[in-house]
Amino acid sequence: MPAIVELNNVVKEYPLGKLVVTALHDVSIAITKGEFTAIAGPSGSGKTTILNMIGCMDVPTTGTVKIDGTLTNNLDDHALTTLRLNRIGFIFQSFNLVNVLDVRQNVEFPLLLQGKLSSKDRKLRVEEMVEKVGLTKQMTQRPNELSGGQRQRVAIARALVTNPAIVLADEPTANLDSTTGHAIIELMRDLNANDHTTFIFSTHDPKVMERATRLIMVADGKVV
Amino acid sequence: MGMLILIAYRNLVQARRRTLLLSAAIGLVTTLLVLLLSLSQGISDNLVKSATTLSAGHVVVAGFFKPSPSQAIPMVTDAGKVRAVIEKETPNLDYIIARGRGWGKIVGPGGTVQTGLSGVTLVNEPRFVATLQLAEQLEYKEGGEARILGDSTRIGSPGSVILFANQAKRLEVDVGDAVTFITETNDGRTNTIDLTVVAVARDLGMLSSWSVLVNMESLRKVYKLSDDTTGAFWVYVKDIDKADEVMNGLRVSLAQAGFQLMDHDPNPFFFKFETVAGEDWTGQKLDVTIWRDEVSFLVKILDAFDLVTVFISAVLLIIIAIGISNTMFNTVRERTREIGTMRAIGIQRGSVLLLFLLEASLLGLFATTVGAVAGAALSVGIDLAAFPVPIPALKAILLSDTVHMTVRLSTLLMSVVFLTVCTGLAALWPSFRAARMRPIVALGYVS
Repeated sequence: MPAIVELNNVVKEYPLGKLVVTALHDVSIAITKGEFTAIAGPSGSGKTTILNMIGCMDVPTTGTVKIDGTLTNNLDDHALTTLRLNRIGFIFQSFNLVNVLDVRQNVEFPLLLQGKLSSKDRKLRVEEMVEKVGLTKQMTQRPNELSGGQRQRVAIARALVTNPAIVLADEPTANLDSTTGHAIIELMRDLNANDHTTFIFSTHDPKVMERATRLIMVADGKVV
Repeated sequence: MGMLILIAYRNLVQARRRTLLLSAAIGLVTTLLVLLLSLSQGISDNLVKSATTLSAGHVVVAGFFKPSPSQAIPMVTDAGKVRAVIEKETPNLDYIIARGRGWGKIVGPGGTVQTGLSGVTLVNEPRFVATLQLAEQLEYKEGGEARILGDSTRIGSPGSVILFANQAKRLEVDVGDAVTFITETNDGRTNTIDLTVVAVARDLGMLSSWSVLVNMESLRKVYKLSDDTTGAFWVYVKDIDKADEVMNGLRVSLAQAGFQLMDHDPNPFFFKFETVAGEDWTGQKLDVTIWRDEVSFLVKILDAFDLVTVFISAVLLIIIAIGISNTMFNTVRERTREIGTMRAIGIQRGSVLLLFLLEASLLGLFATTVGAVAGAALSVGIDLAAFPVPIPALKAILLSDTVHMTVRLSTLLMSVVFLTVCTGLAALWPSFRAARMRPIVALGYVS
C-alpha cells in the first residue's frame, strides 16, 4: 500500500538569536493509510515538529514532505492552507475550540470553509459526527459549558467532519484525567477501525502508546 | 461569510465593556458630526430663505444702464420685452417678480439706517404676503405687546414701507409712524420722500439689516423712473437646484433676443458698480445671476463653517482611529491562539483579515447608527426649542436670531457610512497583522 505520509531526510532548523537550533535531524518516516500511529518521546524530542511538518504548518529546511501524494516543500501559504482544509484534521492538546461558537457551529466550521456541501447536507453531516462522539445533547452548548473530555470530543468531531485523509493529534490526552484520556483514545481507535482514517498522534503516556498499532520513537530530533 | 459575521458579532458581545466604551467614543463623534452638519444645513436653509426672499429669485435678471461711460445705474430698461423673453424661455417656471432697486438713508426718531430699497408691486407678487413673516410688537419695541400690528398687503399703497424688526428698533418707530428716505437720484441730485411704516417684518438674518421693502410707485417717483423700467426680475423655478441650468439658458435666450449681456460675475450687484462704471460702454447691459451669486459674501461664511466642521471632525476621527487601532491590536493579541486554530483547520489569510475588519465594521455600524440617531434627535430638539442667539456676531454667522438645525436623511446615512468605513480602515493594520500570522507561531509552537 502506498504511503499517505512520507518524510524523507527531513532537517528542520530554527534560528535562535545568533544560534541555529536543529529540531529534526535527517528524519525519514513513511505512514500508510489506516495506521493508528503514535509518535512518542520525551519533551523537546521533536514530536510536535514532526506533526507540524505532516500538518503542513511548517516546511522543512532540507528534505521533502509528501502528504497524500502532494509534495509540500514548494507550496505557498494558500496551497498549504487548502491542503490542510481538505486532507488533514487537527486535534490539539488544549482542545482549541472557537469559544464564541456552540458545538454544532464548531463542528460545522471546516465544512463552511470548504463550501462543498449544501446547508442540508452540512447539517446531516454535523449531526452524524456529533452523534459519533456522543454529544448530541450538548449540540447547542458553548465550549465553556463543557467538560475537558467533552471539548476534546468536539475537537475530534471537528477534525473528522471533512473526512480527512489524516488526523493529527498533538498530545490529545495530556490535559485530561486518565479515565477521560483513555475514553478519548478508545474513541479515536474506534473511528480509525470503522472509517479507516489515518491517525497520527504524539504522546509520552505509555498507556496511550499501548493502544497504537505503530509506534515511532523520537529522541533529540531523530527517529530511534 | 455568515459564520465570520457570527464570530465577529459574538466576540463583540463577549468583550462587552470594551465594545461599549469604544462604541460610546465613536457614537459621540457621530453625534457631533450630525449636529454640526445639521447646523450647517440649517444655516444653508436660512441663507436660501433670506436670500430668495430679500435679495434674489432663484435666478436674477438685472442689469446696468449707463447714460455716460462713467455712470452705472442698476436698472433694466425695456422691462416688458425682457419679461416676455423670461416667461417664454424659462423651463419649469414657477413665477416672476419685478423688484425696483435703490440705496440710501432712512431717518426716524431714533436715528438713521443706511439700507437698500426693494421696490414691490404687490399685484405682481402673489406670494409676497405668505413669504414675509411679520414680527410681534415686542420683537422691536421695548414693552411692546405679543401681537402683530400692521398689514403687509398695504405695501400696495403709495408711500408705504415695510421695515425689519432690527431697523424698527433702531429707528424707534412702530406701525403707522412716518420715516424719511433720502437718496441720490440717477441725475446726481439728492431727493427725499416720506414713507409710512405699514408693517414690521421678522428679521431674516443679517440680510434684513440692509434691506427695506417699499411701494414700487414710490420708488419710481423718488428715482424718476419710467413705467417700462425696473431694478431686477427675480425668477423662481420649481427646482432651485436647476438654477444654474436656467441661468445659462436665459443668457442664451436673452442674447438671441438682441439684448447685450455682461459676462457672468458671481457677485451681488452692489459689488459691480465700480467695475461697470469703469467700462467704456453706454446703454443697457443685462446681468444674469443666480441667488447664490447675490449672497456670495454670505456663502463664504457657510464655507468657513463647513471647513471648521471638517477640521473638528477630522481631529476627532484621528483620535478615535488611534483608539480603534490600539483596541484591535489588543484583540488580535488576545485571540492569537484562536487565529492559529482557525488557520490550522483551513481558514485562509483573506478570511482572517475579513473577520477582524467585520468585527470593527460591525462595531462602527452599531456605534455610528446610535450616534446618528442621537444627533438627529438632539438636532430636532434644538430646532424645536428655537434657542435665541444672544450674540450679534453669532447671529450674523448663523443668519438667524434663533438656532435653526435641519436634519436630512442623506446626512445621517452619509455620516453612518463614512464613519463605519473609517472604523473599518482604522482596523486595517491590526487585521493585516492577524492575517499575516503563521499558524505555527499563532499556536505558540515556535516564537
